[in-house]
Amino acid sequence: MTDDSSASLIDTTVSHSARVWNYWLGGKDNYPVDREVGDKVAEMYPDIVLLARAARAFLTRAVRYLAGEAGIRQFLDIGTGLPTVNNTHEVAQSIAPASRIVYADNDPLVLAHARALLTSSPEGVTDYIDADLRNPGKILQEAARTLDFTQSVTITLIAILHHITDYDEARSIVNRLMQAVPSGSYLVISHSTNVIYGAASDEAVARWNKFGKPPVTLRSPEQIAGFFDGLQLLEPGIVSTPRWRPDVAGIGGGVHREVDQFCGVGRKP
Amino acid sequence: MISDQAGNSAPARAAAGGGLAVARGGPTALRIALGAQLRRLREASGITTEDAAEAIRATHSKISRLERGRSGAKQRDVADLLTLYGVTGETEREQMLMLTRQAAAPGWWQQYSDVLPKWLELYVGLEEAASVIRTYEVQFVHGLMQTEDYARAVILIANAHAPAEEIDRRVSARMKRQQLLTRPGAPELWAMLDEAALRRPPDGPKVMRAQLEHLLQLTDLPNVTLQVVPFRAGPHAAAGGPFTILRFPEPDLPDLVYLEQLNSALYLDQPDDVTGYLTVMNQLCVQAETPAASKAMLRALLKKT
Repeated sequence: MTDDSSASLIDTTVSHSARVWNYWLGGKDNYPVDREVGDKVAEMYPDIVLLARAARAFLTRAVRYLAGEAGIRQFLDIGTGLPTVNNTHEVAQSIAPASRIVYADNDPLVLAHARALLTSSPEGVTDYIDADLRNPGKILQEAARTLDFTQSVTITLIAILHHITDYDEARSIVNRLMQAVPSGSYLVISHSTNVIYGAASDEAVARWNKFGKPPVTLRSPEQIAGFFDGLQLLEPGIVSTPRWRPDVAGIGGGVHREVDQFCGVGRKP
Repeated sequence: MISDQAGNSAPARAAAGGGLAVARGGPTALRIALGAQLRRLREASGITTEDAAEAIRATHSKISRLERGRSGAKQRDVADLLTLYGVTGETEREQMLMLTRQAAAPGWWQQYSDVLPKWLELYVGLEEAASVIRTYEVQFVHGLMQTEDYARAVILIANAHAPAEEIDRRVSARMKRQQLLTRPGAPELWAMLDEAALRRPPDGPKVMRAQLEHLLQLTDLPNVTLQVVPFRAGPHAAAGGPFTILRFPEPDLPDLVYLEQLNSALYLDQPDDVTGYLTVMNQLCVQAETPAASKAMLRALLKKT
């Protein structure tokens, strides 16, 4: 998508990932075309709703850990999506109200919602960047308005790296981002795969790529681990999202079986 | 249009979570919570709206209105429905009946029934029950964002021959409505405002200056967002005039579009209608100035007004 999104029109004839994701999460910010494609994917992969919920729940647990035990006060959330429950700044600021959060997305509808609804606690700061993940330089430059890159930063890439088709390009983007942050910073990733459901996941993605935007590329857990090269991967490593440090009470957001969305959290040494 | 009555359109919020959760938005929010719970119970027991209607000697559309919180429920009807749905536990029945009684309590706006027509009372209650209020205004600042003097000027335009006492009552009702923005669990107010409204003082520069200052203060609230739709954006999607979309916390309750007319209002909640207005509102929020740029614009206008 273009960086000049402020002038663009919202296309309600093609389904967009943020709106379909919103549909799977039970939100009301989606259009008939999004529901139609969302249902087509669900026909092949009935656990897609669980997958979406589990990915959000993983983000919540990861941010809670990072803002809590790890003491991180700055977050760069790339691929924000439409507002839902437990948005990054809400989780971080519920633990440390002065936390500073920058949201980056390239979807104009997402940005408008974020600016209106993802607003900071009085003690903290939130800012919003209109940028594509393919342009990490722009993201870093604009995030520097709000974040102090001499202090630790958590960068979250939830369900977005699989939109970068080329693996080398995706790795190079992650490297570029992690080079900009100091030792003690963290990287949080969730990414689509097919190791649990195999052909069903392949077919679900094929359907998505036929009707939806932007296209998705599945990767193996080993490839997902490759994004953490040079970082210390936190326990339990690269796992299906419900398996990442499940809460005692609500296991992984109430999702009890593995889904084809794997995740990990790494610390820059 | 008639930002004069409801101040035109606007919504509010309350936290009527699932089932019997506590609602903060007054009797309408409780009614919505009650309706949602009745619907869940009916669906869980596999009973059609027709059968439910028969059990309480009512029509199918009455059940539908009841389940959407659009009309109130009688104790006896709720008791009969609970029996039909197989809810026999005394505690659960008593909770539902208590909710029914609380939902039937008069809202604060009923003290203003002399100046608030019925079609507007419904809106005021729904506004209080909403979690997100999205509005588009063309000629006037939205009713929830008006200063007292600005509100008075706007109300006078539409009620030029009304006695002073009635004008006071109308102004007072509008000021009372605004309290929802600062209550605990206040709704999100996300307002699109055409530049024309900022350049069209209803009563001279002094009132307008105070109004502009008030808008700047309001946007400091974390739950209030204002985006100006500038002239330079050219013609835009909202060709039909001002409208409001109310979103409710209940996951299965659709958004509600409110269209105010001179002597009545339309309430739309059918999927096609809502989608159409949501599309226009989304287009507007993308085309409008960002919240930050809108504040800068207000400050610049303040210098010139």
